[in-house]
Amino acid sequence: MKSGRKSSAFRRYKTRSVTTMLLYVLSLAITSIGFDHFRLTGLAAYLLAILPALPILVAMVVVGLYLAEEKDEFVRSFWLEAMLWGIGPTMALTTVWGSLTKFAHLWGMDLFLVYPIYCVFVFIATAVLKRKYR
Amino acid sequence: MICSTNNPAIKRYNYRAAVVMTLYVVFLLLAVWVFKLHPPTGVAAYALAVLPSLPIVGMLVVAGLYLAEEKDEFIRNTQVQAMLGGIGGTLAVTSVWGFLENFVHVPHMDLYLVFPLFWVFVGVSMFVVKLRYR
Amino acid sequence: MKNRLRVLRAERNWSQADLAERLEVSRQSVNAIETGKYDPSLPLAFKLARLFETAIEDIFTDEN
Repeated sequence: MKSGRKSSAFRRYKTRSVTTMLLYVLSLAITSIGFDHFRLTGLAAYLLAILPALPILVAMVVVGLYLAEEKDEFVRSFWLEAMLWGIGPTMALTTVWGSLTKFAHLWGMDLFLVYPIYCVFVFIATAVLKRKYR
Repeated sequence: MICSTNNPAIKRYNYRAAVVMTLYVVFLLLAVWVFKLHPPTGVAAYALAVLPSLPIVGMLVVAGLYLAEEKDEFIRNTQVQAMLGGIGGTLAVTSVWGFLENFVHVPHMDLYLVFPLFWVFVGVSMFVVKLRYR
Repeated sequence: MKNRLRVLRAERNWSQADLAERLEVSRQSVNAIETGKYDPSLPLAFKLARLFETAIEDIFTDEN
């Protein structure tokens, strides 16, 4: 898929996802600093804790928008295939790791890492699929 | 998944899923029992801890085989939509709960629950998709 | 995509289930195509055309 002509939907996706990633880093910083410097309790604590999760939710909406806006049906099915292939290894990893943590007392993995792990596997899938559709 | 019994791909899926789920229950009971009575150490502990997660990985293979074998393109399309809804919901919940765990110490969600959570969201998405194509 | 499937079915007195059986797909599939909520793939579109002994363009209307 070495197309120099990236669709407008893809360009829009890139802009939106870069923005959301910046928002994510920013909110993570705000939340970490907030919890380090202030003794937060109750609702304020919960809201600040959720703050970094919001850009992640927005990022998923951005992906959904891209899939809906991409006019090229082959490109769309390519991304759909990659996103499906990403699910398997993610589920396998979390299940095996979770099993090891529970039974063999391996060190735990932070739950919010599931999303980046999934993204990594989707990226690997696109590399494999690009060779398949060469 | 659809509960129709005419579709050979679904019949095959149901059979394989039943086999895999039975193995899961057996392996889980075995692991819990052995860890309680004769707790192993070293490599044996890790191997036994991983054992119940293997049928879970098998479940992924069963689901993948179904998607490949389903001849009805529309039904396959709706199942794919349901799986995307599944992963979307899962990533949203794990992200939000993960940050809450990290910052405000809500009760811990075990990592191996991510996969059952995924199936829950697949079920919910399947319901939504069916409404759409009523 | 707009289509004449309902008309073509009625001409032969086929229910959606009948058509689904002949096409070897589910009734939900036929309903989704007929109501324009799902566009069939090329192989399936050709199957439809052959079944109704007509051309794909006579079944489906490309609104562009």
